[in-house]
Amino acid sequence: MKKEVMQNDLDNKSLFSPVSLRKRYPTLQATLLPALYEAQKRFEWLSLEALEAVSKELDVPKATVRGVATFYSMYKKHPMGRHLIQLCTNISCMLFGAERLVDIIKKHYGVEAGKTSDDGRFSLVIMECIGACGTAPAMLVNTDFHENLTEENIIKILDEYK
Amino acid sequence: MIKVTINGKEIELEQPETILKAARKAGIKIPTLCHHDWLKMYGGCRLCLVEIEKMPRLQPACSFLVSDGMVVTTESEQISAVRRGVLEFILINHPLDCPFCDKAGECELQDAVYIYGPSSGRFKEQKIKHPENNTDPLLARNMERCIACTRCVRMCEDVQGAYAIAMTNRGDRTLMEPFSGNRFDCEYCGNCLTVCPVGSILSRPSKSSYRPWQMDANIATVCSYCGVGCLLNLQVRDESIKKVIPVEDAALRSSFERFGPGVAEKNTEKNLYENSVENRKSLNRGLLCALGRFGHEYVDSRERLTSPMVRKNGKLVETSWDEALDFVALKLNEIKNSSGGSALAGIASPRCTNEDNYIFQKFMRGVLGTNNIDSTARLGFAGAQAYLENLMGQGITANPISDLEDADVIFVVGGDPTIATPVLGLNIRAAAAKGAKIITLGRAAGLGRSKPKEITANLFTENKVLERLLALLFSKKEMTGELPAFEEKLKAAAAAPPAEKTTEVTGVTEAEMAEISEIVASAESFAVVIGSDIVQRAAGHCGLFCLAGISYLASGRIFLLSDRPNEQGLIDMGCLPDRLPGGQSLAIDGFRKKYEEISGLTAPPDKGLTLFPMLKAISEGEIKGLYVMGENPALNLPNWPAGDTRKSKIKSLELLVVQDIFPTETSAMADVVLPALSWAEREGTYTNLEHRIQVLRRAVKNMTYGRDDWRIIAEISSRMGTAMKFSSPADIMAEIVRVSPVHRDLRYPDIEKGTMLCRPYKGQPSKSQAGGVVHGEGFKDLIKTCDRPGGSLDDKKSMHRDFVLLLERSLFYSGVTSRKTPALSRIRPDAAVLRMHPEDAAPGLVEGGRVRVSSPSSEETLELETVFDSSVPRGAVKIPEYLEDLGVGALSLITNLPVDPVTKAPAFEECRVTVEAV
Repeated sequence: MKKEVMQNDLDNKSLFSPVSLRKRYPTLQATLLPALYEAQKRFEWLSLEALEAVSKELDVPKATVRGVATFYSMYKKHPMGRHLIQLCTNISCMLFGAERLVDIIKKHYGVEAGKTSDDGRFSLVIMECIGACGTAPAMLVNTDFHENLTEENIIKILDEYK
Repeated sequence: MIKVTINGKEIELEQPETILKAARKAGIKIPTLCHHDWLKMYGGCRLCLVEIEKMPRLQPACSFLVSDGMVVTTESEQISAVRRGVLEFILINHPLDCPFCDKAGECELQDAVYIYGPSSGRFKEQKIKHPENNTDPLLARNMERCIACTRCVRMCEDVQGAYAIAMTNRGDRTLMEPFSGNRFDCEYCGNCLTVCPVGSILSRPSKSSYRPWQMDANIATVCSYCGVGCLLNLQVRDESIKKVIPVEDAALRSSFERFGPGVAEKNTEKNLYENSVENRKSLNRGLLCALGRFGHEYVDSRERLTSPMVRKNGKLVETSWDEALDFVALKLNEIKNSSGGSALAGIASPRCTNEDNYIFQKFMRGVLGTNNIDSTARLGFAGAQAYLENLMGQGITANPISDLEDADVIFVVGGDPTIATPVLGLNIRAAAAKGAKIITLGRAAGLGRSKPKEITANLFTENKVLERLLALLFSKKEMTGELPAFEEKLKAAAAAPPAEKTTEVTGVTEAEMAEISEIVASAESFAVVIGSDIVQRAAGHCGLFCLAGISYLASGRIFLLSDRPNEQGLIDMGCLPDRLPGGQSLAIDGFRKKYEEISGLTAPPDKGLTLFPMLKAISEGEIKGLYVMGENPALNLPNWPAGDTRKSKIKSLELLVVQDIFPTETSAMADVVLPALSWAEREGTYTNLEHRIQVLRRAVKNMTYGRDDWRIIAEISSRMGTAMKFSSPADIMAEIVRVSPVHRDLRYPDIEKGTMLCRPYKGQPSKSQAGGVVHGEGFKDLIKTCDRPGGSLDDKKSMHRDFVLLLERSLFYSGVTSRKTPALSRIRPDAAVLRMHPEDAAPGLVEGGRVRVSSPSSEETLELETVFDSSVPRGAVKIPEYLEDLGVGALSLITNLPVDPVTKAPAFEECRVTVEAV
């Protein structure tokens, strides 16, 4: 539901402008996190230009905006590939072989942890726990959630993302 | 009354305070890292944990308030163990690079580890590496050493109000970064340097050049840049200033003995509390600006004048002091004898001390027999100050700067106070942070974060707005009857302008005016901050009158900004054509008689010329000799009479004597150049804009053949047959005290102690003489003068070519001393650009295109790059006051400005230039 609301908001806008967000939050400062998401959509990643745009829109100092953006790990602080793989290697996932999965992804798509593949198809980010310990190992690809990963099915899943 | 027992000592407190402060009162020091007295409470590092009886866990002393009957222990085995643990955690990533860290010796972490240990940590993992970032020209960032106490960020946000840095990333990767991650591009106040407890933020100009314990001296003195007069501590090694820190910081560092088990008893109650910040309030309270902190390198500059020079065969050649002084004395005598004293004139300096300026005017009056004495204070401050005092009483501007912070409504007019007087600007920001309403007439970008109510009037129509505000306020406020004569005038002025007319001319709606006047009327503690821009108008005094009226009706205090350290002192010393020392009018015989009696010299009874008529008289050949002390009028002033070129001798002058520390545009035209001493090499006193007299101390030895300004003049005087027997500034001050009523009873040792406050008024002006105020022509037709907006607003046709020139002021520029300081040059935006409103651009002119700027009155032209900026008013262009690349002052283009009839300040709305695309 939440995701849909946000998606609609984004689709309705050609340019970055978090004006409509303002109505939903008590202060401009409170709008900062959703505004950063929007800027990320619009600018592909949170470049200094994107952060400056957010700062200007919300009248929050730009250094503060950068501080917030770098605090949260789910914002893209670097240019990313077409698809973002966020794989958990915390304890449960690690026990079920998540680190092996990292190697497989590297071997198959040529993308190292924290980097982007040369063809720009995938970026791989190692996540802290994504709350799927019961069905470990787990990953997010863009906004899609995949669990119970194995060395076999992970390639099948990722191949779907062109 | 709250009774607390700390380490067995009973303390009584009036109000609940933190354990840390209560302990300090008892002479007990508790170690801290993230706590800083000037900053908001944080409680992050846990080093200050203490035991409280009946509490199950240790509590942080920095943020835990005492309550009645509380029993606290600050040192025990258990506490030491916990502190050791805290430090061990910090040392996981903090490198042990003390041997080459600048902070070693004054590092708070080093001190704490020295006391509590641990000698080595148990963590085997690699330390996180962050290579030192040296991309910024002034600040080096070593983030391996950062302990994430956030002191710098809290300083930048809560105190400085610049919001230039933030903590980025998280967990063990947390570090401080400016927005760009590299260059700071901030206000460069360096106050983050002051509060950093470790060696994470370092000053690059002084990096690796000293050890704290290798300093030869720590000299407390006054800053030489603006009229605020911040107190500084100069750290000197090998006769060179290595570093400038605020005096509070120095006191904080030197006074605390080491803490820890067994040493607490050694700290006497006295030294801890007396040196704590609550008890030591210098007016800048530990804050500095970029100029004050980094602007000292010029003292060591190799470009300094080293020897006297005399013009021989058209060229300036080095010579001996004797020859130069004899030459000056001879020439001055010649001119005086042939053409009389009125053919001589002098320009005094707001950068020189009170003593220098006193001797200067004494020499001009008593020896040369002229009252043609003025200074660059005439650009705004001098005339405005005299006019306001005439209206409302002497000392009306003598209000403590620190009180500004407690105002609830502040009206800022005539420029950005955070640029002209940065630390005073911080007081306005602090007031806003406490909830004060800030109103600005025009834009003050530096106050942007304080969310000011901004009145945007059409170009040069501010007077009209002020007039309307005065009328509105007049209808809301009762008059007190305190100044009857002034009130009569107020009545006449307030009867004036109809609302529609004002709106039509200024573009400010009546509703907005009404709102503003309501805010002012309901103010409990009102302050007016007046910058020089509002004074530099054809009818500048009309605006000042309205401001005085607004302040009077709202029982406000007036702060007149001054961007030079001693403009007020220069006025008090009588470096004015119509006033003797102490503001005594030359026209009153009694004052003159007294002055002559004490100084032993006769002063001519007739008023002299003010600055701009003086310059005119020079071009017309009426003035044949000009003596310039510590000033660079060829660059700083409009209307300067140039010779064939800017660098050649002025033909109409027989003698131009320039006393300075650097070769300047003016000294290049001089007949005699005499090297003086820089601010750090001399002694004397400065009087700041709130009339506080502070002592300048000698910090370094002079390495040139320069001499004190007052000594040079005294030498010339004795060569002209009038001996001036003074041996020190204190000697001169003794005479000043006898001559000047405002300095009565002042003793040098008292000034040195620094207990003087806005002498002699203490914030209470001696209201008196409003009846005898002389107004200019303009005042009678206040409305008429204000009706005429200065800008060519209706003249749409000429808009593409003729513009009004506005000066863009820089936080990092203040005359020749700032130019000769590499640290400041590195942070100044270097491009010579012209800003204009995009809609004003001539067809074909694109952003980044080159334009030629010329003035109808001058043959000189400038070639600049254009930048489109919609904050520049239509019909105007903005140029930096000093164009570094070209080495030209923007004002030197302008040679025909008229002056306000009362304040005699130049009318900048008449600065017309032609802009053509190249």
